[in-house]
Amino acid sequence: MEDIIVRYVSRFILPFVQLYGLYIVLHGHLSPGGGFSGGAIIGASMILYALSFNLAEGSKKLSHDVSSILESTGALIFAGMGLISILLGANFLANGAAGFPLGTPGNLFSGGSIAIITFGVGIKVASTMATLFYSLIEEEHSHEHH
Amino acid sequence: MNFSQHLPALIVVVPLLFAFVMPLLARWRKQWCVPVTLGAIIFSFAAALQMAFQVMSTGPFSYYMGDWPPPWGIELGIDYLAAFAALTINGVGLLIIWFGSKDLLHELKPEVLGWYYTLYLLLMASMVGIVITNDIFNMFVFLEICAIASCGIISIKESRDCIEAAFKYLVLSVLGSGAFLLAVALLYMVTGHLNFTFMAEALPEAMVLYPNNLLVAMGLLVVGLGVKAALFPLHVWLPDAHSSAPSPSSAVLSALVIKVYAVAMIRLLYLVFPRELLGIAPVMEMILWMSTLAIIIGSMFAIVQDDIKKMLAYSSIAQIGYVFLGVGLMSESALVGGILHIFNHATMKSMLFLAAGAFIYGTGARKLSELKGIGHTMPIPTIAFCIGAFSMVGIPITSGFISKWYLALGALDVGRPFFTAVILISSLLNGIYYLPIVVNAFFSKPEEAVPAPKQLPREMLVPLALLSFGVILFGVYPSLILGIVYRAAQLLLGL
Repeated sequence: MEDIIVRYVSRFILPFVQLYGLYIVLHGHLSPGGGFSGGAIIGASMILYALSFNLAEGSKKLSHDVSSILESTGALIFAGMGLISILLGANFLANGAAGFPLGTPGNLFSGGSIAIITFGVGIKVASTMATLFYSLIEEEHSHEHH
Repeated sequence: MNFSQHLPALIVVVPLLFAFVMPLLARWRKQWCVPVTLGAIIFSFAAALQMAFQVMSTGPFSYYMGDWPPPWGIELGIDYLAAFAALTINGVGLLIIWFGSKDLLHELKPEVLGWYYTLYLLLMASMVGIVITNDIFNMFVFLEICAIASCGIISIKESRDCIEAAFKYLVLSVLGSGAFLLAVALLYMVTGHLNFTFMAEALPEAMVLYPNNLLVAMGLLVVGLGVKAALFPLHVWLPDAHSSAPSPSSAVLSALVIKVYAVAMIRLLYLVFPRELLGIAPVMEMILWMSTLAIIIGSMFAIVQDDIKKMLAYSSIAQIGYVFLGVGLMSESALVGGILHIFNHATMKSMLFLAAGAFIYGTGARKLSELKGIGHTMPIPTIAFCIGAFSMVGIPITSGFISKWYLALGALDVGRPFFTAVILISSLLNGIYYLPIVVNAFFSKPEEAVPAPKQLPREMLVPLALLSFGVILFGVYPSLILGIVYRAAQLLLGL
């Protein structure tokens, strides 16, 4: 699809969309939203980019390979934080009980492992959205060639 | 740091973790996929074994996720039933994927092989999660993972039949999940708890205030889990799904996945709902009649099938009926028989499906008429198939006899000999469709000259041999497993 209006508008709003998504992910332990909602916004911004420019341009920014690697990484961060709690001598996924610094409630740097887990979830959801999009598109392309 | 105290969490987390490592391995280190998958399931099996020993020596114990005690946090409760089911799932699951590591090579495209292991590990983790969790919402989450993963391992073959069957399964399974979720909401509304123990304490009082609420919740739970467990009138998705999938998928779906929902239902009906509620609505009586119909009609459908995997799938409908028969009779022996049948059917049905997979691998034959004389060309899978068939019929020294024996005793205990007759009749029906295959395999000649079958690799023969050894072993020495089953039944009945 070649449409100059769509391209210009999306080029203009994309940074704001991504920044907003990042904001929601990073404030997951403080405000409504969190890893899933923020990750979905970031993932949607990547889909918007690939739709308004084209698939080749989108793949240059975030290829299918990279997005599926990020997908695994996000999930591994989550599970890894749980295992770190066990290594610290508490139960799986323990937070304060395992000795993660909890900080002052309400500050950006607080909440111990929750912030890191939310970040992992954000990566996972954003890259899953992109991966699903690529999988659907590539399926469509491979059918056209048949 | 005491490592073994974390096993209840690790038994779920380790397969889950490696499920996510698998796509990375499939990209760069393809040859590591199989050993890593096997390693993760071996770990879970060892953990289940350790937990079973612990629960037998010191009694049930629980694990608080994130050190948050219930009712705030999620509690994993290891009682006899959970330890028994976790052991069954991991033991049988390990042998199935070991067989699958070679069989899948010819059934799947190479680029999706890595994803199969991801789905398989997710399935194992979610099944273990369902049986050990003590929190109803956590159970729902695992039910969803289990539903998605089991649809995935069917549709991954990408043939028309598989996709159609998987879609049908997905729609019905999601309906079941929806019913379950609605029931969770209704229960939470009247009790204010999601933890089974707390819910069970709050329910007798809530039952007086909101009896209709609870009846609806119970109906939704029985239907939701019944659809997933393929209890008779809700079984329509099963034959297609289990027969079209790749053989290791059929084996794991028939042997383990439908049983897990039965375990969930046993736990909810016996440990959460108060006995008086079961008096208001005849739920147990309904389960009893549904399972009777399942046993008879499932076997009858199986008789007319010509496709070996379809026949095994219909036989699963009949066999899940035995499990629910044990649940519905509410006597100690019957419950022991029902729970024991979860394990026995898991071993024999996975063996039968894997043997069928071996026939398909070797000769490409799926029709029963093409299997004449197969005993001479492929002896080991045929012998395994025979042992499985004998066990299905319930011939002594096989494990199938033991669970039918206890079910029959249980029916007599509560003074309902009718159900003993049902078990006898269904054994005869099983004989009608299993024994001709056995006879034809050894004593009749193929109609036309057939080419020599492909040689089976060792990875496929050893699991078959181990499973058939297991069926005989637990038929001759049932006490190896009966101890934990007895305690599970006594705990459930409050004896």
